[in-house]
Amino acid sequence: MYKNFKLASTFALSFSIGTTLVNADEFPFDVPSMDEQSKEAGIEHTYEGPWEYFVGGGAASFDCNGDRMPDVFLSGGKSAAKLFINTSSRGGNLSFTEKALDIGRSNTKVLGAYPINIDNDEYTDLVLLRLGANQILKGGPDCSFTKANKELAINGGREWSTGFAAIWEAENALPTMAIGNYVDRNAPGTPWGTCSPNILLRPDAANQYAEPLALEPGYCSLSMLFTDWNKSGLPDLRITNDRQYYRGGEEQLWQISPGETPRAYTQNDGWETLQIWGMGIAEADLNGDGFPEYALTSMGDTKIQSLDEEGDEESPIYKDIAFESGATAHRPYVGDDLKPSTGWHSQFVDFNNDTHKDLYIAKGNVEAMSDFASYDPDNMLLGGFENKFTEKGDEAGIALNSAGRGAVIEDFNADGMLDMLVVNRKTNVNLFLNEGAKTDWGHRPMGNWIKIELDNGAINKDAIGAKISVKTGNLTQNKTIQIGGGHASGQLGFNHFGLGVAERATIRVQWPNGDWSHPYKVFANNHVIIERDSPVANYWYPAED
Amino acid sequence: MRNSLIVMGLVCLSATNSLADEALPWSEKTDAIGRIEQMPIGFLGRKELDDLVQAGEELFEAKFKKTEGAGRPMATAAILPTKARRLSKTAFARTSGPDAASCGACHNEPLLGGAGDFVTNVFVSEGFTNADFDSINPQFSNERGTNHLFGAGLIELLAREITSDLHDIRKDALKSARADQSAKRVELISKGISYGFITAQPDGVLSLKEIDGIDTDLVVRPFSQKGVMTSLRQFTVNASNHHHGMQATERFGARWTGETDFDEDGMSAELSSADISALVAWQATLRPPVVAKPENAEWQAAAKSGENVFEQIGCAQCHMPALPLNSLQFDDPGLFDVAGTLQTYQVEAPATYDLAMLDWAQSLPRNEEGQVLVPLFGDLKRHTMTDGDVDAFGNELMSQRFVDRNIFITAELWGVASTAPYGHRNDMYDLDEVISAHGGDARQSRDAYLDLDENIKQQLIAFLRTLEIK
Repeated sequence: MYKNFKLASTFALSFSIGTTLVNADEFPFDVPSMDEQSKEAGIEHTYEGPWEYFVGGGAASFDCNGDRMPDVFLSGGKSAAKLFINTSSRGGNLSFTEKALDIGRSNTKVLGAYPINIDNDEYTDLVLLRLGANQILKGGPDCSFTKANKELAINGGREWSTGFAAIWEAENALPTMAIGNYVDRNAPGTPWGTCSPNILLRPDAANQYAEPLALEPGYCSLSMLFTDWNKSGLPDLRITNDRQYYRGGEEQLWQISPGETPRAYTQNDGWETLQIWGMGIAEADLNGDGFPEYALTSMGDTKIQSLDEEGDEESPIYKDIAFESGATAHRPYVGDDLKPSTGWHSQFVDFNNDTHKDLYIAKGNVEAMSDFASYDPDNMLLGGFENKFTEKGDEAGIALNSAGRGAVIEDFNADGMLDMLVVNRKTNVNLFLNEGAKTDWGHRPMGNWIKIELDNGAINKDAIGAKISVKTGNLTQNKTIQIGGGHASGQLGFNHFGLGVAERATIRVQWPNGDWSHPYKVFANNHVIIERDSPVANYWYPAED
Repeated sequence: MRNSLIVMGLVCLSATNSLADEALPWSEKTDAIGRIEQMPIGFLGRKELDDLVQAGEELFEAKFKKTEGAGRPMATAAILPTKARRLSKTAFARTSGPDAASCGACHNEPLLGGAGDFVTNVFVSEGFTNADFDSINPQFSNERGTNHLFGAGLIELLAREITSDLHDIRKDALKSARADQSAKRVELISKGISYGFITAQPDGVLSLKEIDGIDTDLVVRPFSQKGVMTSLRQFTVNASNHHHGMQATERFGARWTGETDFDEDGMSAELSSADISALVAWQATLRPPVVAKPENAEWQAAAKSGENVFEQIGCAQCHMPALPLNSLQFDDPGLFDVAGTLQTYQVEAPATYDLAMLDWAQSLPRNEEGQVLVPLFGDLKRHTMTDGDVDAFGNELMSQRFVDRNIFITAELWGVASTAPYGHRNDMYDLDEVISAHGGDARQSRDAYLDLDENIKQQLIAFLRTLEIK
């Protein structure tokens, strides 16, 4: 579609008739109306604490009770983390019920959380990133969790952990997990230039986790993501780092090959030094070429990196396309404050189901930093043609005066329109119901959609690392199923795609081992379940009252 | 002096504008475009419906002009807004379209809204540029005869009621499976038509392996020879672009394409949602075909016997003589369309009109339960129409919208006496030929027909020849 659009534009120059775009100051596509419902929905939760909790504030969304509706685990910093069970009805207002966690003191000092099924049973587990020992929580029936570091022989460490990513390497039954660490508070001269190394937990031949492998040097990571940046089928590890504390550091990309010692890409490989206050990573294939783009949040301008023309499968050379895409989001878009903005969680989604990827960025001052904007509302950058983004946070209703950190963007009420939960520092979370597009008479649904759940079988059931390709007409949308990225926040469950005006879609899956599925033909506005090697896709329906 | 010249100039300009503003008696303009200024909502009385239908009829038979938006030099026939790879050099093309200046150019036998002869065949394809359908090469398309539209409103109402029934069955099965924590395998049956089985699992997953003749979303799509169009509205939006290059705002407008003139013909907002509503209203209110009573006594007797033969050899299993309809209230937009075609929840309220207001509705038979018996001679279900021996209906190169090349929805036989030639390609001269071409699911009935004595065959033909559009 994008290429066609470019062709059309070319013709427009050649002929008297041509493309008639709406006026530049008009955004023609639907703007979702987001209604904040946290209190009504039953979620009262604040992320708070001293300096160590200026960062973090993550959330995890996943299904812990088998009803396929996303439940949420929220980090609390100094306060207790909480688990909320989703009791929303299809298409209705949002509703959650808190469920007590019986995990002792492990639910304090939590900065972030990622859902992952580590042990390949029928329950999703949780990785809690903590100030101190990280904790693996083994999922059980009815949203029960037990501490599982010993069972899995995982050393939780003693660091200040702020990033997580996981992938199943080769034929391993257990995932390889990377943990990103921030400032080493015990090192001389801390905090300046004292970043803890990040670690890699890899299963050995006996299916046990060996001693953690240090990824040194560490540069005070705040987000990390396994990503198949070069379409090699072997994801590498991208890490975004906070220049506030490192000395001589940079953004990092580690080559991760099964059975081999990780190696950081260097300038010799084409990896160029980039120093930002890296807070969060989001990945999407914006231009449909199969090579992912990355949104990196920071203080000041957001970066959107796209593989440069000089780059190739062996040379990770990136260019920043944020400015030309209208997505720098470097200062607040409402109010008179011209100071730089502070970005945290980032995520590419399709809020309005128009097939164009949108970019969400959680924003919020670190903690009374006078050089940066104090009223710093979250961004909703809605995508348009040629990867141009338009800020619509205010119109959408998310321009609230809160200090966002982590977030999960999920369809909490199973109506196909993405809702959102944002963890805020020192104020209650924001929980937004996506009501659809506002009209004179109420709200109307936006474009069509499809949600896809993969079942990879006995090992890596959730198909982490799989690539989903959704084709409608000439448009192909690609998405990789990943655990990691964002800001201390992860989600696991259905994968959402906006379909615009398409009534049908053809889905192909490249499973984590590289095998391609046959095409699955599905109808729009359905929850689709694809089991590996199944001849047909099944649909799932939420419970109705 | 200079002032008077200026004044005279203004007068001339004014006169010119006046002439331009007012339609000249010989104007080639389609007056009906835009006549319905607001999309109708709520319950329509007879006068409102008549006005809407009148505008719809005029739009249906209008020869659209370039100045009204006809032609799509930079858009393909695709149902999704798709740019052509190159500027079309021809205004019309038989294969890739646009292939007609008006709806009525093809839908005209025996009356406006009717079917068409072989010469009105259309070429259907997905119309995306990866299949080079912006060429005029017919190998990238399937050729289809023009169907008639009489009784189309009743067909859509039947399809909606069946879809609602099937969705209720699905809902109940899922609820029961969840409550009992055991799988529930249930038959999808509505109005005596079976669409196979679904199995609901306790976790809300629905197995669709055993569905039959319907799409996986369990929406009956009654229109087109393949049964892939949900509604008259969807069909109208598709066809207006495909055949005329008249692009409906509700799919090709800026909300979805970011452009006000997607086909780059210099005209924006070519067909408003109100225009589409008018076209839908005219089609939805078209009277159904009838079972005519021949004046010839011999024909009468033969037809009566032939009706029994029709039952006895199994034709009626798929060509069901009548289906019961609960309500004649027609909502537009309907419930089962999706974004890209307006749907009930995309508007403040649909327009609702009661087909019972129309004269022809009074003559429709009703059963003991008060349901209208719609004499469509169809089952609104798709069937495999070929087998290893009888394969005439398997002559296409491409599947269409997920439906395999040899699968078609049962052709409704009402009006069949008025719509020769036959078959999805309109390439079978007479009824005997098209009956003989039935394979696959219809093979048994076809074989039974071929085994009949010639005079019994003629009785069947005599009956079918009473199914007329009048």
